[in-house]
Amino acid sequence: MSSNSPEPTETDATPCAYTEYQSADGDVAAELPATGANATGLESEVWDALYEIEDPEMPISIVDLGLIYGVSVAAGVATVDMTLTYSGCPAREMLTEEVEETAAAVEGVDDADLRLVWNPPWTVDLVTEQGKEDLREFGLSI
Amino acid sequence: MATPDFSEPEELTARERRALESLIKRLADDEFVLAERYTEWQVRAPTLESDLALANNAQDELGHARLWYDVLGDLGYTERELVYERDPAEFRHSTLVELPFEDGDWADAVLRSYLYDVAEELRLEALEDSSSPTIANRVAKIQQEEGYHREHAQNWVERLAEGESNGGEGHKRLQAALDRLFPHALTLFESCAPPRGANDANDASGDKPRAAGSDVEADIVDLGLRTATLEELGEEWLAIVVPYLESLGLDVPESGQTGDGEFEFEVTQEMLPDERGRDGTHTDAWADLYDDFTHTYRELGRSEPTKIMEIPE
Repeated sequence: MSSNSPEPTETDATPCAYTEYQSADGDVAAELPATGANATGLESEVWDALYEIEDPEMPISIVDLGLIYGVSVAAGVATVDMTLTYSGCPAREMLTEEVEETAAAVEGVDDADLRLVWNPPWTVDLVTEQGKEDLREFGLSI
Repeated sequence: MATPDFSEPEELTARERRALESLIKRLADDEFVLAERYTEWQVRAPTLESDLALANNAQDELGHARLWYDVLGDLGYTERELVYERDPAEFRHSTLVELPFEDGDWADAVLRSYLYDVAEELRLEALEDSSSPTIANRVAKIQQEEGYHREHAQNWVERLAEGESNGGEGHKRLQAALDRLFPHALTLFESCAPPRGANDANDASGDKPRAAGSDVEADIVDLGLRTATLEELGEEWLAIVVPYLESLGLDVPESGQTGDGEFEFEVTQEMLPDERGRDGTHTDAWADLYDDFTHTYRELGRSEPTKIMEIPE
C-alpha cells in the first residue's frame, strides 16, 4: 500500500479468511433480505447458483423467498446461512441438501457448509420484490 | 464465577453439559411427545377446521422439538439417538403430554393444550436471554408459531365451557379433564433427573428414578441457561391459569392460592401424580406410546430416521 493511501480501514489481511468460525445461529442478520447483489467473484457465482433453486411448493427462487441470509467463500469452502419459513418444514432435508450440493458444485468451490439459522425468524417481509411478483403470478395475495 | 461460554460446545465442563442437556430434554421431549399425542386426533377432531388446526399444531411442535434436539447436535448427539434409540426411561417430558386421550374427549385435548401452552409461553420468555446463544437464537422463531396454539386452545375451552347443549356436557367434560390433568400439569415445573451416567460428586445421577435432580435445575439457572426458576415459572403459570379457569366456572384442584389472591408454588407430594415424567418415572401409557412411534423404525431395521429407503444394491 502506498504511503498516500487513505486511512487504513482494515486490519492486516490474513492468507486464509476462514479462521473465524462463528457458531451456527451467529450474527448474520445484517441486511435482509440478502440477495447477493453486491457479491463478487466466487460468492457471486454461488448466489447465482442458489437463485436457480426453487421452493418445492411454489415457483419462486429460494433467494427471492428470503431464505438465504448470507454466503461467504473462503479457502474453497462456501458457507451458506439459510433459514426455513417454518420450523416444521417437511422439506428441510431436501432443501438443505440441495443447497449444499448446489453451492459445492460451483466451479472453484470444493466444499459447502450449510448453517441453518433461525434468527431473525423468517417473515413475508423477507420476500424480495421479484419474489412478491412471482408469488402474485402464482395466485397468492401478498 | 466467569460467565460460561455456551457458544463453544466442545469446551463445556461436565456440569455445564449436564445442565444444557437436561434443559433441552425438558423442552424437546415435551414438544415431541405432545405432538405424538396430538396426531391421534387427525381425521377424528370434531370439525374440519379443528382437525387441521390440531394437526398443524402437532407439526409445529415436531418442528420445535427438532429445533431443540438440534442444540444437542452440538454435543454430538444425533436425532436417531435422541428419539428412536433412546431408552424410554431417559425421556424427561412431563406426564401431562404422555397421557392418552379417551376416545373423542375433545375437552381433554383443548384443555391440555391450554395448560401446556401457557407454561410454554412463560418458559420461552425465560429463554430469550439464555447464556446459550444457540438457545436464545431459536426462541423468536418458536414464539412466532406458538401464539396461535394458545389462541386456538382458549377459543375452544371457552366454547365448551359456555355451551349449554346436552345440559352443559362441554362444561362437565372440561371439569373432568381438569380434575384429571391438573396434577400432571404441575409436573411441568418439577425437577428433572439428570441423564444416566452423568453422575458426579453431587450424587445427582439419573441412574435411579427420582434421583435428587435439584442440583441440575439450580445449575440451569445459575449458569444463565434459563433466567427464571421452576418455582417462579410455576407461580406465574398459576396466576394465569387459575383465575382464567375459575372465570369459566371451573373448580381448580388445590393450586397453592393463598388468601390474598397471590399464588405460591408450594407443591406438596399429595398434589402430584405418582409418575412425574421429569424424574424419569412415567405412566404405563408412555411405554405404549414409545412402542408405537418407534415401531416402524424398528420393524424396517432403519438406522437413519429421515431416509425413506436404502439405495438399492
